[in-house]
Amino acid sequence: MPEVKIIAKNFMDMVASLPAMKLDKLYDNAFICEAILRSLPPLAKKYVLQMLYIDSPITAKSMEVWVLPDGSSKHRVAIDRLIQLRVFTETVDRRKETTYKINPTFQTNLQKLLTHGEVLPREPMPSNITVRLPSVEDLDVYAIGQWECFLLQLISSAQAERPSNISSSMMKVFQRGLLSQRDKEAPRLTESGFQFLLMDTNAQLWYIIREYISNSEERGVDPADLISFLLELSFHVTGEAYNSNTLTEVQRNTIKDLTDLGLVKLQQGRKESWFIPTKLATNLSVSLTDSSSRKQGFVVVETNFRLYAYSSSKLHCEILRLFSRVEYQLPNLIVGAITKESLYNAFENGITADQIISFLQQNAHPRVAERIPTVPENVTDQIRLWESDLNRVEMTPAHYYDEFPSREIFEAACDHAREWNGLLWEDSKRMRLVVKAEIHIHMRDHLRGQKQ
Amino acid sequence: MPSAATKLYADDVSLLVVLLDTNPFFWSTSTLPFSKFLSHVLSFLNSILLLNQINQIVVIATGCNSCDYIYDSSLSTNPGIEKGKLPALCSELLKKLEDFVTRDEQLNKQQSQSLPPTTTSSLLSGSLSMALCYIQRVFRSGPLQPHPRILCVQGSSDGPEQYVAIMNSIFSAQRSMVPIDSCYIGSNNSAFLQQASYITGGVYQKPQQLDGLFQYLSTVFATDLHSRTFLQLPKSVGVDFRASCFCHKKTIDMGYICSVCLSIFCKHHKKCSTCGSVFGQAQSDVASASNLKRKTPET
Repeated sequence: MPEVKIIAKNFMDMVASLPAMKLDKLYDNAFICEAILRSLPPLAKKYVLQMLYIDSPITAKSMEVWVLPDGSSKHRVAIDRLIQLRVFTETVDRRKETTYKINPTFQTNLQKLLTHGEVLPREPMPSNITVRLPSVEDLDVYAIGQWECFLLQLISSAQAERPSNISSSMMKVFQRGLLSQRDKEAPRLTESGFQFLLMDTNAQLWYIIREYISNSEERGVDPADLISFLLELSFHVTGEAYNSNTLTEVQRNTIKDLTDLGLVKLQQGRKESWFIPTKLATNLSVSLTDSSSRKQGFVVVETNFRLYAYSSSKLHCEILRLFSRVEYQLPNLIVGAITKESLYNAFENGITADQIISFLQQNAHPRVAERIPTVPENVTDQIRLWESDLNRVEMTPAHYYDEFPSREIFEAACDHAREWNGLLWEDSKRMRLVVKAEIHIHMRDHLRGQKQ
Repeated sequence: MPSAATKLYADDVSLLVVLLDTNPFFWSTSTLPFSKFLSHVLSFLNSILLLNQINQIVVIATGCNSCDYIYDSSLSTNPGIEKGKLPALCSELLKKLEDFVTRDEQLNKQQSQSLPPTTTSSLLSGSLSMALCYIQRVFRSGPLQPHPRILCVQGSSDGPEQYVAIMNSIFSAQRSMVPIDSCYIGSNNSAFLQQASYITGGVYQKPQQLDGLFQYLSTVFATDLHSRTFLQLPKSVGVDFRASCFCHKKTIDMGYICSVCLSIFCKHHKKCSTCGSVFGQAQSDVASASNLKRKTPET
């Protein structure tokens, strides 16, 4: 699976990068403690639980005793993560002994959670006020609709069906890194933009949320507040209505933006207004891709390289266009073909064969998803072969030397280039050689020294 | 091709089936009051739910004459409300537990009218089979399941009359790769639970200080199956492998074994009561010594 460069793995990496002061302040909120705990690696979770009721510091040595020899690397990772998130504080005393202590705020908050249980941040509204709440299915449809509309707007502003109230400056922030715009030219998707479109919804959401938070300071919002609100939101119950009066001014503005992303649905009653979190919002604190939230696939690929996508979504059509030739479109069906030309187009844009294949596999229509392999082998093989065709020639910047005055100087130059591990080609008969560009300076110095 | 993400998902998600001993005969003699015990266990259940939002807990009460599900975090009272919210957990569990205990007591009274009370052990075999049935149902429900395990929190002593049923449950747990952890809070070690944990690869522990039960539970028994491969967990020191005979349900050191179906008897029979094979004439005492199989406790 290719590495996706543009994505921070999750929210928590971003939380970990906050300054220590702010991080400590975040832990005043019990929800954040809970979300942080759930995001930890399994072993780290275990350590927190184990030390929850231990007030005195524990020495690093006694902790290592808990672990079997093969687990020491995992142990290291767990401890590093805990220290990074300031859940554990590390102290080295005079006798050079390292001890760990659990963050006291974090500790008391978790202890409370264990004994009293969690209380929701706000009570859902009684059903007699909120008359027509959407069903869970309707809400899912709504969330996905909003999200796709947003994505379409993101990749080509002209194609959006309805304008959203995300300001154009905000949109610019999201587009940064995904689109590149040259003067007077239509914006083009960059390499990471293409990768972004092929990712699953959760990963895309993370990317957008991350951009949203890192941009918050410019809008005069404290990132720590925003993080804590988003985490709190993820502990609300999907499909329940919550009164908007319980929100602060900043949160109310945030909610409006989140509506456009499909994280919440706003509804207006006679007197009150309320917001309903969707599945996208409650999945926010899930750091791992929850497979159960994966939407149903729609693509069938045949052995003759034809591709049938049962979808009426414009976004899907745009995505398929990235690497296939869309031939015609029926109300609920997109028919295309994977051709060498269309794939070369995709490769030029920086999409890799593995990304295309995993997209086809992840979005396979339920009828073919049960089959193994879901995408015919001859198609996947051919996609990989076409990609490797492009990689046959490797370019290396180089310098070419000739007209050496004597064979000794030529030999010495060759040896020198070999020493620097930069000799690419030599022709001893006619005394010519090619070296890598980066060692050109050394070669020049060497040859000057020879002349004197 | 499973992606890295789905593998991660399956790693530390657990489905924990907890079997709680509610036997009044044991709790009336125990040094740890039942209320305190419950508060330890409730905190432990909370901590499991806290660790991962898709962790699932099922609690089965093991009474004297019956056993029943008293809590299932996937079916908490309000399906809209987030799974395992503590107030729900606490109130629902306690209410069902109370119902269960009264029902169990009534059953006990009914039985004692017809025959004299003979047993003071809990119906462990019943609750073990219920737990396994539940797990089987989860296995069959979908392609992606959390790793299930069973935790027996048991206090009352073994009932030798349940030997066959318990052994069968243990073997079926072993077959479906479900470890049985046991936390024994009674006075002597439980041979059944020792064998159960030993055979299924679970952990058997007898806490030394019952006041710190939560610490034992969270340190040893909260460990998910994935982390167990890296952690130093208590090892069993000695397992009591003694069997019970099929005819009088007594725990025996030496006995007769049917060569066809391996049923165990404490004295010589003409015919195997399980498979019906006809045994030969009982030999004289000296000769029969060679037929006696000695089962030595393994260390």
